Amino acid sequence: MLSRRKMLGGAGAISAAVAAASVSKVAMAALPEPVIQTKPDTMPPLVPNTGRPYNPVVTLNGWTLPWRMNNGVKEFHLVAEPVVREMSPGFKAHLWGYNGQSPGPTIEVVEGDRVRLFVTNKLGELTSIHWHGQRLPNGMDGVTGLNQPGIPPGKTYVYEFVARRPGTFMYHPHADEMVQMAMGMMGFWITHPKGKHPLIDEVDRDFCFLLNAYDIDPGAATPKIMTMLDFNLWSWNSRIFPGIDPLVVRHMDKVRIRVGNLTMTNHPIHLHGHEFLITGTDGGPTPKSTRQYEVTADIAVGQMRQMDFLADEEGDWAFHCHKSHHTMNAMGHDVPTMIGVDHRGVAKQITKLIPDYMVMGERGMKDMTEMEMPLPDNTAAMMAGTGPFGAVGMGGMFSVVKVRKDQKRGDYSDPGWYQHPPGTVAYEFTGALPDPARFKADVSPGPGSMPSMAKPAQDVEVKVRKPAGGHSGH
Amino acid sequence: MPPHPASRRAPAAARPQRLLAVLISAAVLGGCASFSPDGGFAAVEKTAKDRLGKDVQWARSDADQDSIAKRVGELLSKPLTVDDAVQVALLNNRGLQADFQDLGVTEAEVVQAGRLPNPGFSFGRSSRGDEREIERGLHFNLARLVAMPLIGRMEARRFEQVKGRVAMSVLSLAADTRKAYFTALAAEETVRYMRQVKQAADASAELARRMEQVGNFNKLQRAREQSFYANAALQLARAEQAQRSTRERLVRLLGVWGTQTAFALPERLPDLPPSPLELPDVEQVALAQRLDVQGAKQAAEQTASNLGLTRTTRFVNVLELGVMRNSSNEEPTQRGWEIGLELPLFDWGGARAARAEAVYMQTLHRAAETAINARSEVREAYTGYRSAYDIARHHRDEVVPLNQRIAEENVLRYNGMLIGVFELLADARTQIASVNASIEALRDFWIAQADLDMALIGKPSLAAAAGPAMAAEAAGAGH
Repeated sequence: MLSRRKMLGGAGAISAAVAAASVSKVAMAALPEPVIQTKPDTMPPLVPNTGRPYNPVVTLNGWTLPWRMNNGVKEFHLVAEPVVREMSPGFKAHLWGYNGQSPGPTIEVVEGDRVRLFVTNKLGELTSIHWHGQRLPNGMDGVTGLNQPGIPPGKTYVYEFVARRPGTFMYHPHADEMVQMAMGMMGFWITHPKGKHPLIDEVDRDFCFLLNAYDIDPGAATPKIMTMLDFNLWSWNSRIFPGIDPLVVRHMDKVRIRVGNLTMTNHPIHLHGHEFLITGTDGGPTPKSTRQYEVTADIAVGQMRQMDFLADEEGDWAFHCHKSHHTMNAMGHDVPTMIGVDHRGVAKQITKLIPDYMVMGERGMKDMTEMEMPLPDNTAAMMAGTGPFGAVGMGGMFSVVKVRKDQKRGDYSDPGWYQHPPGTVAYEFTGALPDPARFKADVSPGPGSMPSMAKPAQDVEVKVRKPAGGHSGH
Repeated sequence: MPPHPASRRAPAAARPQRLLAVLISAAVLGGCASFSPDGGFAAVEKTAKDRLGKDVQWARSDADQDSIAKRVGELLSKPLTVDDAVQVALLNNRGLQADFQDLGVTEAEVVQAGRLPNPGFSFGRSSRGDEREIERGLHFNLARLVAMPLIGRMEARRFEQVKGRVAMSVLSLAADTRKAYFTALAAEETVRYMRQVKQAADASAELARRMEQVGNFNKLQRAREQSFYANAALQLARAEQAQRSTRERLVRLLGVWGTQTAFALPERLPDLPPSPLELPDVEQVALAQRLDVQGAKQAAEQTASNLGLTRTTRFVNVLELGVMRNSSNEEPTQRGWEIGLELPLFDWGGARAARAEAVYMQTLHRAAETAINARSEVREAYTGYRSAYDIARHHRDEVVPLNQRIAEENVLRYNGMLIGVFELLADARTQIASVNASIEALRDFWIAQADLDMALIGKPSLAAAAGPAMAAEAAGAGH
């Protein structure tokens, strides 16, 4: 048996290329031709022209895999292979994925469909696919060693089962999964209900994306697969803001967003301007009695959530992970806090040694969004997104839900920035207001529930330094 | 005893007048009984000119001293190049002038050896009853006369030896000056870079202080940054000390004092030559050129002829020739000459001959040793030179540009807030240290070049080049 070390050693791009070349053309001839996607853009929904009809989803910065019908069986062909994924404009990552992209294409089927999935391995090591959340024969569950042998490089395996229950699912490898998932191998699976379902409403727009995270050193391209928690790129479908497309909807559309979490931490996904209901989980549609309005849904590791809302408020609404570090792009985690530090004199001294040096961070990190400074090659600026009012100061897991009255049905194209009706934008206060009556407490605060026993020997005096002026003086 | 030309001529000198003529002609034939116009300095001058392209001047008068001072003053008035430094040392080093005086001392001895000993005259008057005997004698060390051409040759050779030795000191002084010059210059450059390192450390210490002041750093973090500063200050103090002591070493070789010591050195060491010297037959060149090898060969030849001399003169050195004139009041004056000869009854001179042979063999071995050492030294000097070249080039082409690239990339990372300013400053220190290490490598190359130049013409003083160790600091400054 090969050790992991040995496997990793051989699993470079070269061996992958060798493996790719060794896939038998004769064997491939009988398979559905693999459809390869070369662009990271959001593709329009794939309206089914064969098989049972359904209302297709839109995969954020992704696409749906076409199929062929073969004697009533839906046949898909997934090719596991190294890919180059553009995570944001100007920043490309060397990932592993399916059919040219990471994540792989979304697979959409209808409840009761018999599905046959050909999986060709063009990697340098064994792989397999686990159909996350599906009811299926045990031998189709894709756990290498437990349910099946791994798919060797250059070989094609077939999975076949009936999509028994409607819902939101994922697929990902279950062979060397730590490496293969860290490298971006994953995809979405949606089983639409056959006909009307009491718990599944018809919606006008149905979006889906996977939460994933990578640790790619700025200037490098390959994720560090050993990173466990300290990732520096937090992405939706392997895209980081401003590389993530907006979720464009028509005013009063019923909207569904399906999110799956394949990172190693939970993500409180937060929508502005609307409340949504959690209408589905990994287990399928939720009973109506359990549904409650939320503006944030915490999506735990390995979980799926389906949130429905009525887009009844026009505008450009932020939609993001509420862990604020997850709305950043690559940044140093050991950078000292410079807030309030006076750089006068020192800055000049440093500039003598390092001519390109510039003071940053003494007022906060937002400076970053305003300065255009050269960065290492192939990395994403920390907070490069710019809105109609200037820098958004966001990156990573951040997008915008655009609700527009004049958006056409089925039109997902970006309508541009929201035109605010007059008097509906926050404005600078310039006038004077009469002194308001202020509440005055007439009882003194209590002593606290537990008085502290040991007090500091002397009072530590903490001074707050308020920022004065800009970058003057250096 | 083989017949000697001088002793064959001796009977012909029956009359004092004729004898005197012979003596004078012998003195003239000896040829080295007078002072040369240059005192033997021309050879030294020629060596300096041919091997170094430099002038030497023997300060024998106040006028000489003045012209030397004038020339030295001119050379010291502008930043000193290495050639200027060598020139100043050759003109101004008092130790070298003292060596030049050796020429005078030896030449005087040579001349002395060429002069005939004064003849002796004895006069005696004695009476026996009425008879008074007056005895007059003129005597002269004949052996000295006989041996004079030989002694003259020996002394001339000794003079040659001294000339060689003085020429050697000219060359060693030049080599030592070159080495001291590069060492002092590099030390000055190092001080400049250490000041920059300290500046970076100053900046981080000051920033850390302000960070603590506003509550962004705790005492530990501040102390850590401050320790970089403390180390940098120490390094700077060491570098400054090295600069002062290396400069003083150069000052001593240049023989300058007072206001002259304020001479300036250039900003930078000379650049590395585009390619190193290729010397495939370096050993042959050295054997042909090296003064010590030539000297050893000459010494062997000289002892060989000395040996011959000893063999031929082992009986005659006690030969004494005298002119005699005895007069008596009763008898006609007696005239004639007398010769005294030691009978080689007990001492056949064999011991002296054996000693001379042993000395000769000794010289042969010394000559062989000198040649073997010369080959080895020149090989060592050449490999030292080549590797110093490769190391300096590696520093220049690889290490420094790499560190520069790292520094540039780190600025980009700083721009992206991927690293902090302290990391940036630590990296700046490392980069500066790498530049300094490159300077030291360049210095070592020039020293190796001086050693090689010396090894090709004389015995070099090969020493492993040592400089202030920056590597530890560079590693310590890591993040």
